[in-house]
Amino acid sequence: MKHLKPINKKAEHIERSAEEGKVEEAQVMQVVAGCTSVFDPGWEVDPFGGVAALCQPVEADLYGCADTCWWPAQVPDTINSYPDWNTAAPSAERDWRKLQTVFPKK
Amino acid sequence: MKSKALVTGAALLALCATAFAPLCVQAKEYILTGVKPNRLVLIDPAKRAITRIYTIPGGGSPAGIVTSPDGKTAYVTTNHTGSLVGIDLDSGKEVFHADFSDGDFSDVSSGALRVRSFYGLEISPDGKELFVSESPVRLLRDEYKVEDTRIAVYRTDGGLAAEPVRLLPLPRRTTNIMMSTDGTKLYANSWDLYTLDPKDGKVLKVDKILNWDRKNFAPAGVFNVWNQFEQAHMFVTPYYTARTDPGSGNPPTPRTGLLTLDLKTGDIHMNEFEDFSAIMFSSVLSPVHRNEVYSTFKTLTKSDIEKNILIKRVTLPRPYYCINISADGREVYVAGAGNDIGVYSTGTLKRIGEIKMPGGADMAGAWIRMVERP
Repeated sequence: MKHLKPINKKAEHIERSAEEGKVEEAQVMQVVAGCTSVFDPGWEVDPFGGVAALCQPVEADLYGCADTCWWPAQVPDTINSYPDWNTAAPSAERDWRKLQTVFPKK
Repeated sequence: MKSKALVTGAALLALCATAFAPLCVQAKEYILTGVKPNRLVLIDPAKRAITRIYTIPGGGSPAGIVTSPDGKTAYVTTNHTGSLVGIDLDSGKEVFHADFSDGDFSDVSSGALRVRSFYGLEISPDGKELFVSESPVRLLRDEYKVEDTRIAVYRTDGGLAAEPVRLLPLPRRTTNIMMSTDGTKLYANSWDLYTLDPKDGKVLKVDKILNWDRKNFAPAGVFNVWNQFEQAHMFVTPYYTARTDPGSGNPPTPRTGLLTLDLKTGDIHMNEFEDFSAIMFSSVLSPVHRNEVYSTFKTLTKSDIEKNILIKRVTLPRPYYCINISADGREVYVAGAGNDIGVYSTGTLKRIGEIKMPGGADMAGAWIRMVERP
């Protein structure tokens, strides 16, 4: 971990858990309560420290990741909260303009 | 299983040369995959053309796909990972339906159980039972109570309101579940590879992956969610590790390997074949040249699991998550993510064909399966 530094509370909690020997509890949690319970760093950087190994265009990877909460912070939770978010956009590359921001339900 | 299939095929051919000829219809190989919005697509790979499109009732997108041994019914996880649906591939009608969740979600005090299935789906070799991995959480008034992960077992004749006939314990973090060809063992691909008894879920054996104690190697990481082993009956998945012994570099030299699980014998092997140089999402073994493995993501990789070497790698025009192979071992089909299936020669790794998905829709995380149908 010497090359990584936590930059938010969740990451700090994970690092603290590792120090306390509770890696298993903090490292992976299957999706049970919603996408926000997932810790996934996303694909902002590839294993080589660049972006060449990431999906290009990003739309090619959008639904394969979003449908199963791989991008919990970047896109709506289509499993639990906003199941119809991409229903009108079956092709992410072509229909991305139809993908809208969502807001908490009243 | 392959030799049995060949013998059965030979017997059928002999029968077809007799007075029974009118009754004989030779089985043909098809590709079955899924696209948005919630459709199954049956493809004739020889014609590079779609044979039929099936609309799956309800919302969501297809994810896991298994077919009955006779190739007549497809079972698909859908409804935002909340349901398993069976589609008759002849009539197109829904013949099986199971909703995983249970309870009254409009009443916050009812303690309803929300259940989702992530990736694990398998059918028994006799076609009588379906195995679905499940992550349940109980929605209580003031907390979400995480329940133990499990496998729900359904009978394929459970109808349109199917209920599980038994629930088996399942280690957390399991993605793939695979069955031995004789139906006596269930394998769960998690941080380690578990061999389970399909009757009661009892852990029969644990083969270490992430928890391996290999000296001078970092824990091995496996990420795989696609079942695509029907041609060679060998589960193959990439894994990644790193050498940690002094002098191997800082950061340590990362290595790429392939894990193989023989679904006939239960034999498991893990061997690296290169310093990490490309991300590979999933792999398939050739049923003909059983040393050749093909892996996909942004590249198509051909490697040899006997010599543990990279044979050839080509760049793909876009990312493809999953891959399958023709029964004669001559073509591989890369699929998933976007809206086309790429056909590649196993001999040259040249792109020799393409099948566009209907309406240009994305396959996203849907599996690609090979199915023999009359």
